[in-house]
Amino acid sequence: MAQLLINGKTFMVDADPATPLLWVIRERLQLTGTKFGCGIAQCGACTVHLDGAAVRSCQTTLAQAAGKKITTIEGLHPKGEHPLQKAWIAEQVPQCGYCQSGQIMQAAALLAKSPNPTDEEIVAAMSGNICRCATYLRIKRAIKRAARGI
Amino acid sequence: MKSTRTELSRRDFLKTTAVAGAGLTLSFTIPGGGAREASAAAAFEPNAALTITPDGIITVHITKAEMGQGVGTALAQIVAEELEADWKDVRIDYPMNDPKYGLMLTGGSWSVNWTFDSLSRAGAGARMLLTEAAAKQMNVAVADCVAEDGRIRHLPTGRSMPYGEIVAKVPITRTLSEEDLKKIELKKPSQYRIVGKWIPRLDIPEKVTGKAKFGIDTFLPGMVYAKVAYPPTREGGKHTAVDDTGARKVKGWIQTVVTDDVVAVVADTYDNAVRARDALRVSWDPGPNAGVSTASIFEMYAKKAKEDLTAPSWVEQGDVKAGLAQAAKTHEATFTTDYVAHMQMEPMNCVVRLDGGAYDIYTGSQFQTMAVGALSKKLGVDPSKIRIHQHYLGGGFGRRLEPDIMVETALIAREVKRPVKLIRSREEDLRRDYYRSATLQVLRGGLSADGKVIAWENTLVAAYPGERYGGLDDKGRDQFALNGSDHVYEIPNQFVRAVRAETGMSVGYVRAVAPNYTFFAVETFIDELAHLAKADPVQFRLAMLGGAPRLARVLKLAADRAGWDSPLPPNVGRGVACVTAQERKSPTWTASVVEAQVDPASGAVKVRKIVCAVDCGIVVNPDGARSQIEGSLLFGLSNALKERGTVKNGALEQSNFHDYQVLRMSDVPEVEVHVVPSTEYPTGLGEPGTTTILPALSNAIFAATGARVRSAPLTAERVLTAIQQKA
Repeated sequence: MAQLLINGKTFMVDADPATPLLWVIRERLQLTGTKFGCGIAQCGACTVHLDGAAVRSCQTTLAQAAGKKITTIEGLHPKGEHPLQKAWIAEQVPQCGYCQSGQIMQAAALLAKSPNPTDEEIVAAMSGNICRCATYLRIKRAIKRAARGI
Repeated sequence: MKSTRTELSRRDFLKTTAVAGAGLTLSFTIPGGGAREASAAAAFEPNAALTITPDGIITVHITKAEMGQGVGTALAQIVAEELEADWKDVRIDYPMNDPKYGLMLTGGSWSVNWTFDSLSRAGAGARMLLTEAAAKQMNVAVADCVAEDGRIRHLPTGRSMPYGEIVAKVPITRTLSEEDLKKIELKKPSQYRIVGKWIPRLDIPEKVTGKAKFGIDTFLPGMVYAKVAYPPTREGGKHTAVDDTGARKVKGWIQTVVTDDVVAVVADTYDNAVRARDALRVSWDPGPNAGVSTASIFEMYAKKAKEDLTAPSWVEQGDVKAGLAQAAKTHEATFTTDYVAHMQMEPMNCVVRLDGGAYDIYTGSQFQTMAVGALSKKLGVDPSKIRIHQHYLGGGFGRRLEPDIMVETALIAREVKRPVKLIRSREEDLRRDYYRSATLQVLRGGLSADGKVIAWENTLVAAYPGERYGGLDDKGRDQFALNGSDHVYEIPNQFVRAVRAETGMSVGYVRAVAPNYTFFAVETFIDELAHLAKADPVQFRLAMLGGAPRLARVLKLAADRAGWDSPLPPNVGRGVACVTAQERKSPTWTASVVEAQVDPASGAVKVRKIVCAVDCGIVVNPDGARSQIEGSLLFGLSNALKERGTVKNGALEQSNFHDYQVLRMSDVPEVEVHVVPSTEYPTGLGEPGTTTILPALSNAIFAATGARVRSAPLTAERVLTAIQQKA
């Protein structure tokens, strides 16, 4: 039994310690905002925060996550009104929407560390997150909008 | 939630017919039974497009798949416009498949184009009935009443009734026939107040909180997880023996399923199902395609292009042989494109529950009508026993037209007798994809002494996806593999030969389909002819676009806004392309100018800027339109620069995003989009932009380096080789 602290709640999980955190979060605990995209840390759809840092939950094992503070898209803001979530709506970013939880979690970790990022910092931080609909122009605009506190 | 009674009345009395190739016609009848229901504070469902409930909420039933195009919002805007609805009352849902919805198919950039008229009339018809009902209730003349902002208002007295109140109080008994609907005079574009307005998309809020439900987010009580063991080749492989001794020892193993069609393991969790499947020992007969490779495919293509002289024509005009013979200069070039995969972000997945002889299918589908047919046939049940519960699609791009994942999951669920969830890994998703065909095109052109194109010949070799869809014509041609090769340039002598070549690699429809490769050849070759004629590529094209003024206009617009004639630094070039994607009969006139920098030492290409001009007729949702154009251009850039599917031993060599690279934020150039204001009947936007980028970029690379790259994608290696060959 592993004990997980996700979005401020404690969950007991009976799974192999090597099980990817992703599958525990989305299929066992049914926190489905965290998405499966590649399973090899190439796309970023499964991005969550581990003690505040953006990590790929498909490459984080249950054992590595136990005892740490895990935040998923569902826990980013109690009402879903994180400045990035508001900016994402203002800029009408999502198309299919599947990658956007991961994009927002990645961007949230960036803004927490660098509240007013340059274009280069945004590109560097976000280039591990694929959007097949290619909403990149709007993602970039939304991050800047959120950073400006609009 | 709708009552069973309402469901029954809809099924019994409302007819919807699909007209092959022309889209959807909604008929509009309110029979006796339905009218009674409408009277007694029930929902008013004037047709299959919408429901108005006594609380005033108008629900527009979206029978198109939402895969990022914002189709739900756009279609609801069309209905709301003629209905004179108050937009804040409008909701959308994505109903289960039902014959009354006609052809449930989302693709081809057809959604707005096919439904604009019928949904406008659905809204207008409902408005008429509401007006009559309110007039009766207020005991006033219909002619004195108007519909506005979700109410019927009596002009002389100013009294009004909101739609919800009308629906709650007044029996609506009149029937509108299709003829009645056709007679309705629709609004003029100048009167629009919802169509063409900036309206935020209805699906976006839940897509930023993680609440949006995709197929993969389905959970049913008692659900188990399946993983399938797939053959080593894409087509023709078959299992010969299965030993599940190891799988049975894996914790959580429930059942091994081996049928003619499928080898699978079912377990209690996803991760346990993976472990159990990996512990299976399966012997495979790889089938007839085990030796197929990229080299063997292109060798066969080249042979067919030379030797298959009996292949049917797709375009035939004038006398191309005579034209070439008369030409002062002739030119020949061969273009090839590699396989392209969908790589939609949500890997294919499905949940199936077999319940009392009926199959409940939970997934996101672009083609429910075809899926129902395929499932009903494979499972041996009546089509009414197939219920597809539609979800958001985590990317479609044509991948979710295919019913394969639904069939596979249903076959397993039938054996397991419990709800089954099947999620393919990315590797499985990519290896079991239906790719955009690899292609080869041999073009010949002839110029007159004064530099006019007088002859055009194209031998187009491709695999055809259409056969699975019943889409080959009587000459064995597949329109969707050939679209775009029938360009609109005025050239007196033309011949396009359609050579079909099947390879053992499954092909399907990948965003914009054939126009990706046909316009690559057409628009690059036109550029080559322009240079041969020592003409400016924009002016050269314009001289042949007399019959397509809307295309000429967007071409000029894109060139102007891109500063076509302005100087550029060394190793930077501009290229242009203009297209009539997706089809000649419903073109979205699109032109792009791409500005690219080439590193002559490595061949690496960096795209600096894309300027695109589009004329799609009436624009329903301007920001949604812009979003689709931006996305389609960048999808095209991804295809053009990075995506190369290669084949070895009858299967795709690539397996995931590490070796099948797609566009990332670091690759994104500046993008400028210009949409031409228009009151013409609308066409689609999901795909056309995609098709401009590959040719415009290949032309930009030529402008920057003087080297032609005629094989896509335009990888650094290929660009470098072309530069070296030129030198």
